[in-house]
Amino acid sequence: MKKGKAKTAGQRARTQTSTGRRRFLKTAALTAGAAATTGLIDGFPLVWSQNIKDVKLMQVGGSYSAIKDIADQATKDLGFKVEMQTADHSALLNRLVTQPQTIDIADIEYFFQLHLIKRGTLQPMEEKKIKLWDKVVPIFTKGTYPDGRKVSDQGVLPYKVQYVSGPGAKEFAKGPTKWITGIPTVYNADTLGIRPDLVKRKVESWSELLNPEWKGKTSIVSVPGIGIMDAAMAIEARGDIKYGDKGNMTKAEIDKTIDILKAAKKAGQFRAMWATFDESVNLMASGETIVQSMWSPAVTAVRSRGIPCYYAPLKEGYRAWGSCIAPMAHLKGIQLDAAYEYINWYMSGWQAGFIAKQGYYSSVPEAAKKFMTEDEYGYWYEGKPAKGEIKDPYGNVMEKPGAVRDGGAFWDRMGKVACWNTLMDENQYMVKKWNEFLAS
Amino acid sequence: MQSPDRTRGARPVKVSPTLTSYLQIGPLLLVLLLFFGIPLLVVIAYSFFQFDGLDSVPAFDFVNYIDVLTSGVTLSLYLKTLYYAVVVWAITLLIGFTVAYFLAFHVQSLIWQMALFLLCTVPFWTSNIIRMISWIPFLGRNGIFNNALIGAGITQQPLEFLLFSDFAVIIAYVHLFTLFMIVPIFNAMARIDKALIEAARDGGASGWRIIWDIVVPLSKTGIALGSIFVVTLVMGDFFVVKVMSGSQSASIAMAMSNQIAMVQYPPAAASAVILLIVVSLMVAAILRVVDVRKEIAG
Amino acid sequence: MQKLQTGKRPLSFYALSVFFGLFVLFLYGPMSAIYILSFQGPTGGLTFPMRGWSLHWFDALFSQQRTGDFAGAFTRSMILAVMALLLTVAISVVAGLAFRRRFVGAAFVFYLAVASLIMPGLLVGLGVGLTFQTLGVQTKWFASALGAQLTWTLPFGMLIMFAVLSRFDRAYEEAARDLGATNWQIFLWVVLPILFPGMIAVALFGFTLSYDEFPRTLLTSGAANTLPMEIWGMTTNVTSPALYALGTVTTLVSFIAIALALGSIAIIQWRRSRPVGNVSLAKEQE
Repeated sequence: MKKGKAKTAGQRARTQTSTGRRRFLKTAALTAGAAATTGLIDGFPLVWSQNIKDVKLMQVGGSYSAIKDIADQATKDLGFKVEMQTADHSALLNRLVTQPQTIDIADIEYFFQLHLIKRGTLQPMEEKKIKLWDKVVPIFTKGTYPDGRKVSDQGVLPYKVQYVSGPGAKEFAKGPTKWITGIPTVYNADTLGIRPDLVKRKVESWSELLNPEWKGKTSIVSVPGIGIMDAAMAIEARGDIKYGDKGNMTKAEIDKTIDILKAAKKAGQFRAMWATFDESVNLMASGETIVQSMWSPAVTAVRSRGIPCYYAPLKEGYRAWGSCIAPMAHLKGIQLDAAYEYINWYMSGWQAGFIAKQGYYSSVPEAAKKFMTEDEYGYWYEGKPAKGEIKDPYGNVMEKPGAVRDGGAFWDRMGKVACWNTLMDENQYMVKKWNEFLAS
Repeated sequence: MQSPDRTRGARPVKVSPTLTSYLQIGPLLLVLLLFFGIPLLVVIAYSFFQFDGLDSVPAFDFVNYIDVLTSGVTLSLYLKTLYYAVVVWAITLLIGFTVAYFLAFHVQSLIWQMALFLLCTVPFWTSNIIRMISWIPFLGRNGIFNNALIGAGITQQPLEFLLFSDFAVIIAYVHLFTLFMIVPIFNAMARIDKALIEAARDGGASGWRIIWDIVVPLSKTGIALGSIFVVTLVMGDFFVVKVMSGSQSASIAMAMSNQIAMVQYPPAAASAVILLIVVSLMVAAILRVVDVRKEIAG
Repeated sequence: MQKLQTGKRPLSFYALSVFFGLFVLFLYGPMSAIYILSFQGPTGGLTFPMRGWSLHWFDALFSQQRTGDFAGAFTRSMILAVMALLLTVAISVVAGLAFRRRFVGAAFVFYLAVASLIMPGLLVGLGVGLTFQTLGVQTKWFASALGAQLTWTLPFGMLIMFAVLSRFDRAYEEAARDLGATNWQIFLWVVLPILFPGMIAVALFGFTLSYDEFPRTLLTSGAANTLPMEIWGMTTNVTSPALYALGTVTTLVSFIAIALALGSIAIIQWRRSRPVGNVSLAKEQE
């Protein structure tokens, strides 16, 4: 942090000396050049691109998206400082609510928007300033698939919280407007991770989570709002309850779900519940669990240790989630301009390419293409068998030639979303019942 | 009781004993008021707010308290947490007293005392989170411990109860909190005059009698303080119970942390106030047995 | 170990030594997993089995981290811990002395400190965060987080001082005063040396409690993470055995520092004691 400040101060000093003037013009031109590629600051007065170097943006998010490499690349490409800080879900939401000033760019899950728009924590973005908005996957912009089918709106479908009528609005707009609440950054479709060496048969349904066959060897997420969705997928698949909306249960549905969970816990069905990505990887890798709800990159992480693990495409579909970034309400003037510039850079492909190699999807898949080899794009997005070795962004080999991504191509996975990570209307009641489940 | 300053060349300013006391207590009071007193008032205020499902609405309402006090889950959470507290207290007291006794009466050199003391402290300088993560490879199904047991032929099947269970939670608490028992007990024992014990031994008292009649009464301040530390630590913990039980058990603080994670401040604040009262009563009970303030006041 | 004055050790000494040894084994046993796993091969993970042996993760620890800012967070945590140590020792020692006299409000301060110890950390952090927000002051790790941590380290410090000061013999002070020492001299040359071992305990607690503090710091450290927060944040992604390497390095460095410190004290003592002869070697330290 200190280093960055010292540098900008040095740059300021340089621009003030007459000899530094030429150099300044050169850097300004470079910045303008970089900006031109993102096509943003056309028409901005030159003086802004001078001061913009002093701008610092602090993005705070989960460590799966607030990645230092992305900030470094953005700093290099944009000419102002972008920093990343990691925080877990709970800490992030609490910081956004109690100390919004310590964050410039919020990097949040979509359902946080329910908390934040109401409080005016974020500021909506003008659609016309987001260059690639019309290229964003229609799941987010229209709530539909490219073929026009509607995306499941159980839970918080990002489209439901994507638009507001304008700055200061406390409610979400029913349909597309000119004001966007967040830009999708990473998203994915989750299902069950399986240890084929220990399960030894095909797993095709979420109901396997509750199958006594795997007693003491299954696990779900311990985050109440998400764990109950994992459970609901399994319970509905088993045929116990037919939910109206798994993502927004009634009190009666919550009661029944928790009762079933309690019974399962009592019978010793779950080995543990996992709270972090890391725990989920460790549980599977160490063989503590063999059937477990998981994130796709976590499955890859298990496999890259040489332990067989696959992501089962299940007939009931996927539990999806999405993250987005948005400027905080306190940004204004040149800092807000920098935020727009950064967000446009974010969508222009570098981030998408980086994130894709960890198994996540991003807002504009075609932009990712520019930053991936054909083989990589084929493997991660198109469901094609890998021709060469598939490597992660840091050059570690993840998959051998011939491997095919579990679940296949982008639309084979994202096209089968059953529900979204959520914040229920009855969330206070739900947390209470969840605590009861834990204490049982 | 403080005699006037009768020194040569001392500053002429005389500070009254009472003022000295206030000057000495001042910094502590200031920090506590600023960073605990005021935030506590904020928390109390929030406990009367209403929660509309997303946001806290300023109000003066007892609904959060009624909710906590009438909910069945509160009782089971308290029973579970008290169970942990009592078991952990008993074990840490036993270990802590023995270790402190060893350090205070059998290790004579200050350097060795410090060395052994630090030996017990070093594990604490590795982050709690890392140490928690390391229990999985240690106690897990295919962990070091189970492999050792199977290797030694003690069991055929790995013992599953070692991890993600009450057993795991308690063993982690003991691992983390025994030091908090050792330190105050050791410090209290260090004040015991060794001549007293020699005299008792010369008088023919057995080892047990010496411990029971001399060491225990004279180190009761340390025992009380250690008990306060351990009980409050266990009652306020959410992290250990979460990780070690694999999120399958709960404590009061963990239930609170689940509420805070969803910014449900008013209900969390109400249960915090109730917890504060309950644990204060527990501490008051300990202090009733041993009045630590009386022990040092002249 | 030095010889006891009595010469022959009682049987209980050996029994207790074994007990202490077992306790240390219990403390370090689970840590052994950390030490062993930090030598994982480059493709290894956080759990067994080992996938080769290497120093890869130690190297990774000191080079660029993928996510987050290990070095910065570590530096902040160290500074914070040292500040907490100094403040905790200074404030709780004088506060402990204050409690030796009766004064109006003593009970209030005492129970305020006890309540501060009892309050769940998350709520203290939340309260401090909300207070700063209401006042419009930005939270900073070296201000709000330090304050929040002190509400935790100070009660510990204060209560340990109670243990240290209990049945403190006033005869020493009286003797010094009769010999004409000033209050300050009495404190510096009589009280302080007697309290010194207890102060070490307070210092150790201040440092350790702050260095590893999580719930109170979480919402008060502003735009910068401390080490526990950074580590917790990292576990939301693929964590590597670099985490364990950090544990191994911390332990190793601690041992070296302790060995050096104690070694030098031992040498000084030995030199001092030489002219007097062997008797003082066995002399007990007060």
